Amino acid sequence: MLSDSEKKRYSRQIRLFGEDGQEKLKRTRVFIAGAGGLGSVISIYMAAAGFGKIRICDCDAVELSNLNRQILHANADVSRPKALSAYETLTGINPEIEVEAEVQTISEDNIDQLLLGSDLIMDAMDNFPVRYLLNRAALKRKIPLFHGAISGYQGQATTIIPGKTACLSCIFPRAPPAATFPALGSTCGIIGSIQVTEAVKYVTGTGKLLENRLLLWDGLNACLDEMACERNSVCRDCSE
Amino acid sequence: MLIALPDGSRKEITEECARIEDILKQLGINPEEVIVAKNGKIVSEEETAGCSDELKIVRFVHGG
Repeated sequence: MLSDSEKKRYSRQIRLFGEDGQEKLKRTRVFIAGAGGLGSVISIYMAAAGFGKIRICDCDAVELSNLNRQILHANADVSRPKALSAYETLTGINPEIEVEAEVQTISEDNIDQLLLGSDLIMDAMDNFPVRYLLNRAALKRKIPLFHGAISGYQGQATTIIPGKTACLSCIFPRAPPAATFPALGSTCGIIGSIQVTEAVKYVTGTGKLLENRLLLWDGLNACLDEMACERNSVCRDCSE
Repeated sequence: MLIALPDGSRKEITEECARIEDILKQLGINPEEVIVAKNGKIVSEEETAGCSDELKIVRFVHGG
């Protein structure tokens, strides 16, 4: 049941998917992998939208060079763990939800414990090796993975539903070479917002998801494009 | 075969039928950095493309 305060807080989006949809968001437990550029946008919009339980994980501390895009963190947070800064920002935005901060490096060793009880995974990582780990964990648990990635003016997003859509390894069979990437806050804003919109639609059962479609954002030319994808029958992670 | 390149430009090549991996090599593109769609659908670089196909090559990103 929603309290009177919650009904008021979420009144504009209750117009979209009703109190029933809002209650579904409230019951949803989210794991956000990363509290950087994408993680900032994803966690802020998910907290504001009323996803009931958010667990956000990041092993790093805030650096001055993060602040052009990582809007979870302020100048006074430099040198503090990102997850703790995230906890304060998110509970400040919405004290009616539950937030858990994990200052950990996501690995094979702790992924089971980190995902315990989670209904969906938000990909806000900055590298493919951990993304592949999240992908395998999503497949194993049969929970959706909302993928997003950025570099400079460019970004991409897709929604992975185990057993139904192509998985991350079907679409990207191998990781791109590791490199320091340029990052613009507004690109994180666009891609992170798309990921949250997908999660809201998934939970409330509204609209058409980015299933088997890779959305590509080219901010330099202001173009959105998409490519179709399908399950790879010999995928190392999802083929049976 | 019409090819849309990662920089947004387009190129026409006259190959009858070729492996996508070989087309990428011919264009000087590192296959590790791109995904390729044939007629709108993402395909493996082991697939072949013929003269009536349209390829789109996109550099995918990994940052967050």
